[in-house]
Amino acid sequence: MPLNFRVELVWQGSDGGEASSIFLTSDGRVILQGRGISANEREALKLPRDADLISVDRNLIRAIKDML
Amino acid sequence: MFLRNYWYVAALDEEVRDRPLGRMILGEPVVLFRSGDGALHAFEDRCPHRQLPLSMGKLVGDVLQCHYHGLRFDGSGQCVRVPGQDHIPQNARVRTYPVVERYRWIWIWMGDPAQADPEQICDFHWLTDPDWGAKPSYLHVEANWQLIVDNLLDLTHLAFVHETTIGNMALVEHAAVKVQRSPNGVLVTRWTIDQPAPPTFVKVGKFTGNVDRWQIIDYAPPAFLRLDVGATPTGTGAPEGRRVGGIGMRNLNAITPETEATSHYFWAQAHDFEPHNADMTERVFQQIKTAFLEDVAVFTAQQRMISLRPDAPQVDINADAGGMQARRIVDRLYREEQEATAAHATAAV
Repeated sequence: MPLNFRVELVWQGSDGGEASSIFLTSDGRVILQGRGISANEREALKLPRDADLISVDRNLIRAIKDML
Repeated sequence: MFLRNYWYVAALDEEVRDRPLGRMILGEPVVLFRSGDGALHAFEDRCPHRQLPLSMGKLVGDVLQCHYHGLRFDGSGQCVRVPGQDHIPQNARVRTYPVVERYRWIWIWMGDPAQADPEQICDFHWLTDPDWGAKPSYLHVEANWQLIVDNLLDLTHLAFVHETTIGNMALVEHAAVKVQRSPNGVLVTRWTIDQPAPPTFVKVGKFTGNVDRWQIIDYAPPAFLRLDVGATPTGTGAPEGRRVGGIGMRNLNAITPETEATSHYFWAQAHDFEPHNADMTERVFQQIKTAFLEDVAVFTAQQRMISLRPDAPQVDINADAGGMQARRIVDRLYREEQEATAAHATAAV
């Protein structure tokens, strides 16, 4: 797929800590960078088995509130 | 909306020589002048007698003389002579502003003088660095200062407004843009890889094939934008930090609000290739100036529409990401400045 216009947003706090990235794509999607949830975690935390779940750091929540 | 407790550029150094310069800054009339010893001064541009702008007056040695009745003011703003009388009224003095000369620009502090620390002046060392050729200039713009900030943080407009100079469609169709927001700054990084060089780059860089091009925009509030731009022949390693065989430039911008609808636009172009070649400095400058005048036409037309209907809705697109982050920082700083001013006033009661 050819690269079109794509924006990556990165939030940095006053302590210098960065959030993981937010990507705005040319087809209108907002893609968040996070970590996939394993089957073991789903089982242990009683999370949905089939949904696409990711774990994100709290700085990313700040980033979403501040930047979007 | 103006942020007051910041250094702003008030003038090019060459604008303030042997006569007073009147300039409206953040909605306040200011007169800039040098006294006989070369020291810089900035006063409110208003004689306390009958309010004629002091910029209409003249310098007499170290003092500024009003054009109307000849009252004279020393560098501290104190009236030191009233023609025809010995008594000088106690309140015959003008407000002064802190000023500093740096980077071939004259900087002014419009806020609380007690907070004016020259160490806070934004770094524009490229203007005086011997390793760089540079030429500064000034444009008066009939538009709000934030429209200029928006413009500089969104470089997709280059493809349309500047298609004959510094833009091409590669900037829109094949670009990955990174917007990093820190508490008091925005950094927009854009690389376009293995794409044709824009016309200006071909002229000054003599590129014959595709290039890897970078545009790194560093925003600091209220309105300072330093653009690190350049290109190298594609595949030679610039994205990995190896900038060889190409050209590098700094586009330097300091925007000072004049009023809510007009701005002083101080800008400069610096280049790292043939830095001591004045002809090259002039060629680079003229190329970029052409583009800047195209921008000014856009700002002016935007402001005309905004003034006609200030509440007209605006649609945001992905390319606005950098400008929107800058506006959020300014909004927050303005709120904080207003709160601090209110708290200070309350404490003083």
